[in-house]
Amino acid sequence: MDLVFALAINGLIWGLIIALIALGLSIIFGLLDIINLAHGDFFMVGTVLAWFIVQSTDNFWLAFILVPIIGLLLGAVIQKLVIVPIKGAAALSIVATFGLSIILQETVRATFGPAPKRLLPPVEGTIPLFGIDYELYRLVAAVISIICLAAFFLFLHKAKLGTWMRAVRHDPETALALGIPVQRIYTITFAIGFGMAALGGVVAAPITTVDFRAGVDILPFCFIAVIIGGLGNLQGTAAAAVLLAFMEGVITAFADPVVARIASLLFMSAVLLVRPQGIFAGATS
Amino acid sequence: MSANTNNNVPVLETQHLVKRFGGLTATNDVNFTLASNGRLHAIIGPNGAGKTTFFNLISGRLKPTSGKILFKGEDITGYSTHRIARLGISRTLQIKSVFDALSVEDNIWIAAQAKMAGWHPLRSARHFPDTQRRVDKVIEEVGLQEIAKREAGTLSYGDVALLEMGIALASDPELLLLDEPICGMSPKETQRTVEKIVELSKLVNVILIEHDMEVVFDVADDITVMAQGGILAQGSPSEIASNHEVREAYLGFDEDDDGELAIMPNEQDIGQPSKGAHSNG
Amino acid sequence: MSNAAPTGPARSLRTPEQKLAIFNRVLSAALILFFASAPLILPLVTNNFWIGITAEIMMWSLFAASVNLLFGYTGLLSFGQALYFGAGMYGVAIGVAQIGLGFWPAFGFGIFCSIFMALVTGSLAVRLTWHYFAIITVVFSLIFYFLALTMSSITGGDDGLAFQLPPMFQFGDTEISLTNSTLQYYFIFIVVGLCFFLKWRLLASPFGRALVAIRENDVRAELVGINVYMMRLASFVISGFFAGVAGALFAFFGRYASTSYMFYHVSGEAVVWAIVGGAGTLFGPVLGTGVLIIIREELSLYWDHYLLLVGVIIILTVIFAPKGLTGLINSTVLKIVAPKHNPDTEAQSNLADDKARQPAE
Ligand SMILES: Nc1ncnc2c1ncn2[C@@H]1O[C@H](COP(=O)(O)OP(=O)(O)O)[C@@H](O)[C@H]1O
Ligand SMILES: [Mg+2]
Repeated sequence: MDLVFALAINGLIWGLIIALIALGLSIIFGLLDIINLAHGDFFMVGTVLAWFIVQSTDNFWLAFILVPIIGLLLGAVIQKLVIVPIKGAAALSIVATFGLSIILQETVRATFGPAPKRLLPPVEGTIPLFGIDYELYRLVAAVISIICLAAFFLFLHKAKLGTWMRAVRHDPETALALGIPVQRIYTITFAIGFGMAALGGVVAAPITTVDFRAGVDILPFCFIAVIIGGLGNLQGTAAAAVLLAFMEGVITAFADPVVARIASLLFMSAVLLVRPQGIFAGATS
Repeated sequence: MSANTNNNVPVLETQHLVKRFGGLTATNDVNFTLASNGRLHAIIGPNGAGKTTFFNLISGRLKPTSGKILFKGEDITGYSTHRIARLGISRTLQIKSVFDALSVEDNIWIAAQAKMAGWHPLRSARHFPDTQRRVDKVIEEVGLQEIAKREAGTLSYGDVALLEMGIALASDPELLLLDEPICGMSPKETQRTVEKIVELSKLVNVILIEHDMEVVFDVADDITVMAQGGILAQGSPSEIASNHEVREAYLGFDEDDDGELAIMPNEQDIGQPSKGAHSNG
Repeated sequence: MSNAAPTGPARSLRTPEQKLAIFNRVLSAALILFFASAPLILPLVTNNFWIGITAEIMMWSLFAASVNLLFGYTGLLSFGQALYFGAGMYGVAIGVAQIGLGFWPAFGFGIFCSIFMALVTGSLAVRLTWHYFAIITVVFSLIFYFLALTMSSITGGDDGLAFQLPPMFQFGDTEISLTNSTLQYYFIFIVVGLCFFLKWRLLASPFGRALVAIRENDVRAELVGINVYMMRLASFVISGFFAGVAGALFAFFGRYASTSYMFYHVSGEAVVWAIVGGAGTLFGPVLGTGVLIIIREELSLYWDHYLLLVGVIIILTVIFAPKGLTGLINSTVLKIVAPKHNPDTEAQSNLADDKARQPAE
């Protein structure tokens, strides 16, 4: 029973982190109409950057501040260099991001090395939680994720930039006519997408392994959350990420984790075929 | 061709046709009959009246909420779009729609082949002389001989409209549905296209949705006025022009005007006498 | 193909397009000739290792061709072709190792598995288009990838499933089998060749034209009477068949099957080969596959991170040559056979022409 509980909590916390990453994927899809196959690698780059920064400064919180900023910058550069030039060939964006994924993985393998490494959590120790000793940092990670998620939605609905992003998503032509700098919004959106994946990366780094292949694993999960939550439905995406990770956590207690993944994928196919607007359609984003 | 088929059975008949989108009734109990008599039938009505939806129902792109659609007496309600097309109903779309990367000739070839021979996967596409003859004939009918080899994506707006009509004609349809074919055209293109439509209406039964009243009153033999999903009035252009309900509900003209609809064409504007539209003027 | 083309009276009878068509025919013939004679000529210039690579290029080309049929001709970008490759591969391996089938029945079983898979998943997948189609094809392939991983008693999981090559023919005591490397090469050559011949026939048929029509405008295609769903499904199943044949051949070639070939990265590679070579052309994928595999084989010897180059090539292709190598070659040839100021060129480069003319009309 303790194990089930621990796995369920693990799943829940993991789901909060995934929500951050999946939201990045979702805004990129929603605004730029791009299936970003490199999104998992954006996350992976986040974990690796965190590792490097902690390695050289021994300060996790510095990494926590710096990594998302580097992510934003990288995102902006990549959008300008790769995404803008292919604007005309939407079908090929998926291919371009596949190439991007290869480049990111290979760059990391060349610099960071092929072997997975571990990053020690900045807060050590455990606390008793419903009868088990639970790793303290995981709870910290959950709190950080919740704060970041809240900040994201606040930004989207209250900040001028967020409102602009929603306007562009709704109708780019009208937005342009209203004087919104649509091109810049595209760049910013992609940058924020990368930034959020990288943020997920730092937060997750101490509870997972730092590995150049980490993105390959996380990408399908993010897509599942985005589809089940509803493409472009950001609250739905966040909710789906948390629910699914929780569910997979629980299933893992009783069966092979791969079975849990297959269940999620089957669920996702059903949603795609029957309710492509997602299971929470009706809620606004 | 087809205008001389059995005159007793209407080409098209809809019975209590209804289409709802959520709470919006886009087609409201439409009973429409089109006899096969070689007359050009126009549908007019304000934006959002449900004209395009009506075409979408006939061509199977939308399934009716209730009611029936009969084509030459056959109940085609619920048939798939491609099946209805092969039965002999062709249409153009309000937003011009052709196969951009194919040549003019191949655009028409596809439509002709769909009706005439099908998709034999192992025979060369060149070995269908009947299809080719049909293609040549249609290209001549719509007057695109000069640019038959051009890629459709490179044509001017007016030529695309003609090509779309050619595609619709290629399958030798018995009913041709044209959805605002001259919308957005220059006066010169308009004139050419309208002439073409009049020619076509002698060969095929045509239903024409059109916004340009001058054109409608000029060329149509019969007019149906739609408003809010239903049929408001039906009759000859002169009957429609003098119909009070139409004036009030659709055209919104004051009755204290001099009795002449502002939309009625002037002879100077159009450059040719119109048939019957001025009977009350 | 000489620069003198515009002045020579005999030459000017041909339009630049016709010249390009001739060039392409020559190129295709050269390609076929090369593959037909590789086991004879390669040992003269390099070592036998490259014969195996050439055989691999043929199999992977067929795999890329399966992506190409769907994307280049039908307008559906599948990121899950590895599923059908894997089905063909496992059909053969399981057929031989678990069921004890002979060579030909196992080959047939592999192909059957891939067609069956394509039919089942395709009937659902082709209800979607665009991004949704790409996503659902990945998802289906992932589901079966994970299934294959869990059922390791049948599939061997990540380690794979190795098997003994059964003989192709048996006359009394003499057995003919693919252990003869020349025979193996020509077996692959003939099977892949037949598939490409089939593809060529399909594309030149009304069926092929209908696929292109669907790619260009599915709404219009449906309105002229094409059953778009059935045509897409047919294209999907044929494409699954090509992938399956490639997988089955690859199983015989490597004498094993492994789940790692069912992962979506393998699908992605096929997409990349097809697009770098030139989607929508018969031999484009062969070119793309060939170039990228040669880069892999040559470069990986000297540079551990050669994949960086592959990634860059992918992105550069998408940005600067969306029609791939074939498109680059064709436009270069056109430039040579129809230099500027040639009246032929103007008729040909109608795109720019028309942009300028349209407002005037
Ligand atoms: N697919 C659809 N879904 C929801 N509403 C629709 C759809 N198609 C048309 N409508 C609505 O039905 C009404 C009639 O539209 P339409 O037939 O296009 O009008 P018209 O062609 O006469 O201008 C409009 O209010 C339109 O918004
Ligand atoms: Mg309309």
